[in-house]
Amino acid sequence: MNKRYVMVHDENKCIGCQACNVACRSENQVPDGVTRLQVRVEGPYGEVPDLHFKFDRVSCQQCENAPCVKVCPTGAAYVNDDGIVTINHEKCIGCQYCIAACPYKVRFINPVTLTADKCNFCTDTRLARGEQPACVTVCPTNALVFGDANDANSDVSKLLNSAPTYREKVHLGTQPRVYRIPARKGGIEA
Amino acid sequence: MNNIWGDMSQYNPVTWHWVIAVYLFLAGLSAGSLLIAIAMRWVKGDREESPVLKAAALIAPVAICLGMLCLVFDLTRPFHFWLILVNYNFTSVMSIGVLALLVFIPLTFLYALVVFRGQLATIGLGFLQGLADVLNGLRKPMETLLFALAVIVGAYTGFLISAMNIYPMLNTAILPALFLVSGISAGAAANAVVALLLFKTPAHDHELGRMHGIELPVVGIEMLFLFMLFCGLYFKGGAAAAALASLTTGTWAAVFWTLVVAVGFGVPLLSLLLPAQQRHGKGVMLLGALCSLTGVLALRHFILYAGQSYLG
Repeated sequence: MNKRYVMVHDENKCIGCQACNVACRSENQVPDGVTRLQVRVEGPYGEVPDLHFKFDRVSCQQCENAPCVKVCPTGAAYVNDDGIVTINHEKCIGCQYCIAACPYKVRFINPVTLTADKCNFCTDTRLARGEQPACVTVCPTNALVFGDANDANSDVSKLLNSAPTYREKVHLGTQPRVYRIPARKGGIEA
Repeated sequence: MNNIWGDMSQYNPVTWHWVIAVYLFLAGLSAGSLLIAIAMRWVKGDREESPVLKAAALIAPVAICLGMLCLVFDLTRPFHFWLILVNYNFTSVMSIGVLALLVFIPLTFLYALVVFRGQLATIGLGFLQGLADVLNGLRKPMETLLFALAVIVGAYTGFLISAMNIYPMLNTAILPALFLVSGISAGAAANAVVALLLFKTPAHDHELGRMHGIELPVVGIEMLFLFMLFCGLYFKGGAAAAALASLTTGTWAAVFWTLVVAVGFGVPLLSLLLPAQQRHGKGVMLLGALCSLTGVLALRHFILYAGQSYLG
């Protein structure tokens, strides 16, 4: 059966420490000034002393119906054998059609390679070595769970089957593979 | 910046800037000038080369090549542009556009050869005379193909940006039609300018007058399509309706109402109210044409920038 790699970000467990952000930069040699992954800290919400923050992971949503792959004129943006949306930098000419078309605005031009860049779940680095993506490994609160959702026994399948989740901009038909567990304290606005 | 999560500048939703707006304008202009000149030639059953046709034959290759320069030098890796010629993805409008342009661009040059075949010797291109004469024998199929490709190229500039469903103002069915029609109005205006200035056509030339006469319905359709675009956004509601704020707030609202509406539509239409003698004067025709061109260029900027500023 095909793999269906997904990631779950538990916004209750996340503390916004940016360890994932830094680990990603280190693993994927992301230059200064651009990011593949950041966790935006929103808030504080609520009344003193019961304040809370909301944590929003901003990174490639690994759409199963990816607009970037559809619009790329050269096939530089493509779907890997493992189903992960990634980039063939040799083929990219930097037309930025994918960056414009991305509903989540998570693609950027890498100032070193001058090609489009984004999170690919570490497919060519850690995943290829049988390891988990850098952000998942480094997370101090285990807020990130990654795995094959087509494997009923995987941790990620069990989590998706037991916890309420939401995904961003599903109305655009992109079928994102990054799921979020909403924070119990006002994760969804009243 | 100074957010703990890092720099936010890469997240600006406006990805494509003015160079792309100029490209969209030039490609539409190239296609539009040919569409109107060839259509007029067919209707009239012309045997000789009219000033309007000569203007179009000159504008089409020049405009599309300038547009290509914009496109290539807007790439982050301009010297890798050839990759787009050897790799194709048929779900990508850009890829399909490359195929159309690969046929359209050489054809505009060959068509110019045919139209100027009488003057080739005087401009030092006498060695192409044989080719021009052979092509002239194939004129009808060549014109038909060129006409069809001009429609495709004109509409493609709209399809290119309407294919992105994150931008509600761009992701509309009317955009390719709007760009095609406004390309025709820019093409007619450019034909008039070149015919008047370069080919020294008298302003009272019968054919210039006819082209001028087509301008009213073309501008009318253009305004109707714009109205439909905004109505579509309004009726859709939500994020689409929110994008209508671009008509009332910010720089692009000012550009729209002054350059697109007042200059681009207002001046040429008001000039139609002048008495016939003045209306067909060289100065008024040139002014009207330059205003139309300004309006179409401003429209491309407005649609591109305002369109990218509102996300769905």
